[in-house]
Amino acid sequence: MAKKWGLRVRNWMAQKMDLPQDVMMDLPRITMIGQIHIYIENHRGLITFTDKELRLLLKQGQLQIKGNSFVIKTILPEEILLEGKIDQVIYINENPGGAK
Amino acid sequence: MKNQWIEFFSGKVTVKVSGRGIERFLNVLTRNGLMIWNVKRHGTETITFTMSLSDALKIRHFAREKECSITFLRRAGMPFLFKRLLKNSGFIGGAILFLMIILVLSNVIWGIEIKGAKPATEYQIRKELDKMGVKIGKVQFFVDNVEGIQRKLTNNVGNLTWVGVELKGTTYHLQVVEKKEPEKPEQLAPRNLVAKKKAVIDSMYVETGQKMVDIHDHVEAGQLLVSGVIGKEGQTQQVAAIGEVWGETWYRSHVELPLKTKFFVFNGQEKQKFSLILGNLEIPIWGFGEPDFQEYEAEKNVKKINLLKWELPISIGNETLRAREETTRTYTDKEAEKNALELAKNKIKSGLDEEAIIKDEKILHKELKDGKVILDIHFKIIENIAVGQPIPKETPE
Repeated sequence: MAKKWGLRVRNWMAQKMDLPQDVMMDLPRITMIGQIHIYIENHRGLITFTDKELRLLLKQGQLQIKGNSFVIKTILPEEILLEGKIDQVIYINENPGGAK
Repeated sequence: MKNQWIEFFSGKVTVKVSGRGIERFLNVLTRNGLMIWNVKRHGTETITFTMSLSDALKIRHFAREKECSITFLRRAGMPFLFKRLLKNSGFIGGAILFLMIILVLSNVIWGIEIKGAKPATEYQIRKELDKMGVKIGKVQFFVDNVEGIQRKLTNNVGNLTWVGVELKGTTYHLQVVEKKEPEKPEQLAPRNLVAKKKAVIDSMYVETGQKMVDIHDHVEAGQLLVSGVIGKEGQTQQVAAIGEVWGETWYRSHVELPLKTKFFVFNGQEKQKFSLILGNLEIPIWGFGEPDFQEYEAEKNVKKINLLKWELPISIGNETLRAREETTRTYTDKEAEKNALELAKNKIKSGLDEEAIIKDEKILHKELKDGKVILDIHFKIIENIAVGQPIPKETPE
């Protein structure tokens, strides 16, 4: 319950004080350059990596990127730069079907 | 993104990882601060990526805990290049040695050619050059420069009028002009001997000719001393008069000598500086810092380095700093007078023949003014006053 309260406070603060959401709420910041580059900050680790799929753990849920001929150009603890032909970027929630 | 060049210098390794749970392995690596880039998937169980050399050494430690095997595929970058360089150092060493040998041999004296000298003189010159260290096989740096050789040769070898020394590549070319030994006087034309200047005859020595004056005679300049016309009246004959007529002549000399003189002397202390000169740039290689002495005179020599027949733009500069001291010479009046007299004598002598002698000197006037001794001296000198004068052609009567 406390965790949820914290989240709500932070959300409220971000809205009222006009702060960027990704800083306040630990959300990933995704930058894409056309189809060829995708740059994700604030991820929590690698789950799957093949040349057609990349799955990243986020603070909440996962991020799935589909496409082909993927190459990870750089990987740092919280950042990743992927190169290839990106077709889809999908958010997968932690509890599928548990949408509120 | 990061600069790949930095990785190139520190060295980078391509690593192949195969096994299960590769993604977890990558997470472990990144969380421990290892840099990974260019991650590529090959099939289901294999992955390749590049990492820096220093990180690659730590990777085994992490891999041990996981179920993957690691192979290093490609090594690139400076450390590996350097390693290969060391392995092939023989070639590089050889190349450097080759250049060094050529450089050294280009600066060795390979020949001395002497032109225009008689064998005897040539031998003498060669001996003198040997003494100076100019020999075949010597390195040019340790030898005097061309002007120095030229000067020493002309000074030390007696019968040289002039010697031109030229350095062409590795050979010294010496062009020699020998002194012409004075030849025996050829048949002189008929002549008289006349007085050079006003004098009183002191002694005479006549080889040929008719004496016209006697000892203690007073003669004027141009007066006939020894006649070239000999023989009895009516049977005269013209010859070249030969002889010496020593006469007493007079000179006046005026000298001034300051009592105090300042001049510089070298006290023997010196400092050598060597530097490498590249165009206008000078890089000191030996002898740094200021000399311990304040007053000094610098002498600079620049030696060019040759490579084969070319001169390299590099040269070696050698600077010698000689300490000098200012000393003041002070004369007392007596000393000053004595020295002034000596000075005057030397001055007179330099203008006279070698055989002339100073018979007597007399100080006419002495003055001490503005810290200077001023002397007027009268000299009595005995010298040869006879000079040849051709006999005017006379039509025999």
